[in-house]
Amino acid sequence: MNPKPKKVPVTLVTVTFFTFFILAGCQEKEPVIKIGVSAPFTGDQASVGLTILNGAQLAVAQANEHGEVIPGYKLKLTPIDDQHNPTQAVTAAKKFVSDPAVLGVVGHLNSSCTKPASQVYFDGRLAQITPASTNPGISKQGFDTFFRICATDDLQGPKAAGFAFNELGARSVFIIDDKTTYGKGLADEFQKVFESMGGKVLGRQGITQGDKDFTPLLTRVRPLAPELIFYGGLFPEASLLIKQSRDLNISASFLGGDGIYDVTLIQLATPAASEGVYATMIGTDIQSLPQARRFVEAYEKKFGPVGSYSAYSFDAANILIEAIRSAGAFDRERVISRLKSGRTFSGILGPTEFDQDGDTKNKIISVFRVKNGKWEHVRTI
Amino acid sequence: MELFLQQLINGMTIGAIYALIALGYTMVYGVIQLINFAHGEVFMVGAYIGLTVITFFGFATGAGFPAALFYLAVILLIAAFLSGALGIFIDQAAYRPIRNSPRLVALISAIGVSFVLQNTVMLIFGPMDKSFPEIIPPVKFIFGEVTLTLMQIVILTVSLAFMVLLYWLVEKTQTGRAMRAVAQDHKMARLVGIHVDGIIRFTFWIGSGMAAVGGVLFGMYYHTINFHDGYLAGLKAFTAAVLGGIGNIPGAMAGGILIGLAEGLGAGYISSEWKNVFAFVILVLILLFKPTGLFGERVADRA
Repeated sequence: MNPKPKKVPVTLVTVTFFTFFILAGCQEKEPVIKIGVSAPFTGDQASVGLTILNGAQLAVAQANEHGEVIPGYKLKLTPIDDQHNPTQAVTAAKKFVSDPAVLGVVGHLNSSCTKPASQVYFDGRLAQITPASTNPGISKQGFDTFFRICATDDLQGPKAAGFAFNELGARSVFIIDDKTTYGKGLADEFQKVFESMGGKVLGRQGITQGDKDFTPLLTRVRPLAPELIFYGGLFPEASLLIKQSRDLNISASFLGGDGIYDVTLIQLATPAASEGVYATMIGTDIQSLPQARRFVEAYEKKFGPVGSYSAYSFDAANILIEAIRSAGAFDRERVISRLKSGRTFSGILGPTEFDQDGDTKNKIISVFRVKNGKWEHVRTI
Repeated sequence: MELFLQQLINGMTIGAIYALIALGYTMVYGVIQLINFAHGEVFMVGAYIGLTVITFFGFATGAGFPAALFYLAVILLIAAFLSGALGIFIDQAAYRPIRNSPRLVALISAIGVSFVLQNTVMLIFGPMDKSFPEIIPPVKFIFGEVTLTLMQIVILTVSLAFMVLLYWLVEKTQTGRAMRAVAQDHKMARLVGIHVDGIIRFTFWIGSGMAAVGGVLFGMYYHTINFHDGYLAGLKAFTAAVLGGIGNIPGAMAGGILIGLAEGLGAGYISSEWKNVFAFVILVLILLFKPTGLFGERVADRA
């Protein structure tokens, strides 16, 4: 071994240091406005989170094609992965808040992430629009920085219960949830209304996210012979529940919320087992909207098939861009007041107007069903 | 009663997979007194190798049962062989250089290997759940209230076959006797002419191969596989090994089945919310009241 101290690394470190210094200097000089986007881009929810990233990317790319949003500034999208993890979501929110160039955030996907992050955005006076978090409690915290462009579970749950009772004719249900802010909240709302309609809840059980074997639970469900199994949770666990209940010869219909509405569900549960599975979705069928046709074409050209929340994050990003444009200045407070002003933003989902709590007034719930290995729009309820 | 039978089948199926993984923990502990915490990841890598083999050869779903069995044999053999090689590589790279250091050092090294494997798989295959093709046809046998799938029968038969094979290998062959000798005393074994390093490599190879078999069966049973699936399964299999008495081969087999049953019956009759708790409550109780495990740490027999 050579005992002499090596000199090369010192030079290297110096050079690297100065390179970064110079690069950082360059970045400062280019005036940018940033829109943050945060959702899970890795982990079990990545396939859904990426539909949010892609939608926002498309919106920002199109806005830049149409010229500058605020004269002299370039618009840039800054993605941060929240990994479907509340701690990471809060970290992401803190990063956005501490970067003065960020004027608004599209995010997050999961209610369990959106809720703690919303506090950070509120404290940092930064506007946040969630394209997908449906827990009704989030908008009841009195944060004027929080906005949401999808329907909530206090609408989705009751609508799902009505659909189950009236259209599916189900009188008995077994409810399963994943104990998260979203899953438990949705299941609670469903249960309340289903019972008030005269339906019978045969039992309710929680499961753990990431678990794989639900056969013990389903074996317990089988002798109760429910007409319907309602699941409040997300598609990775839902696909296993569906597959394993079919393997155990349980013939009950399966209904879930927007969390299970994803193409991956069919793949993971196998097309045969997922045939006939129902899901409610917090919005309308994007394929049927004439004003969304151009969006669908552009999206498919760039990223492939349109995902669950692509249209929502596209609209959310566009609303932020519009608010920044009308604010006309580099000012977070003015962006918030533009969103709060009660004006109507027109997007591909139709007109969006935020109420006192920041929730959209354009609330639609539709039902989808798996048919021949594909999600098919059944009706809007 | 029929329900109970169904819960037994559910528990046995996953228990058999835990047992396959537990064997690797117990065998490695037997020869070098190391808890190989990277073993759960070898199980996960085995599943991914199985998936790669399926895509590489283009094994189609919906083939007849004889063809499906042939596919299964090919997948299991390749996955077991390659994961075995991975096991040897892990030993050579991460454990052998520190063989004579305190045990804690090797334990930390094992945890490091576990991170490396998880992240490598994530980078290669992506962070999302991968769907595992349904190689074994989805056939169900219904006896009154009890349902048994063909996949469950395959899992139970294959794991039983591998366990019997291993038992025979350790108890009845020359190599097995050498393994038992190494487990008793490295120095003494070397003195009587046993190639100790070779035996250690062989043990890693067999143990990792068994885990890979478990991984492939796990992937096929649940139809999905994810890069972090090795963690929890590995931890439960470790519990199974401790339950049976670490270092004891029949103990690991019994421990695996018992953990599977405890989980199945606990989740089925008490609450599914607490499913993961049952296995670990057992671990705590065992460590408190019978640290040598149910079957005791039969030092003379460990291998």
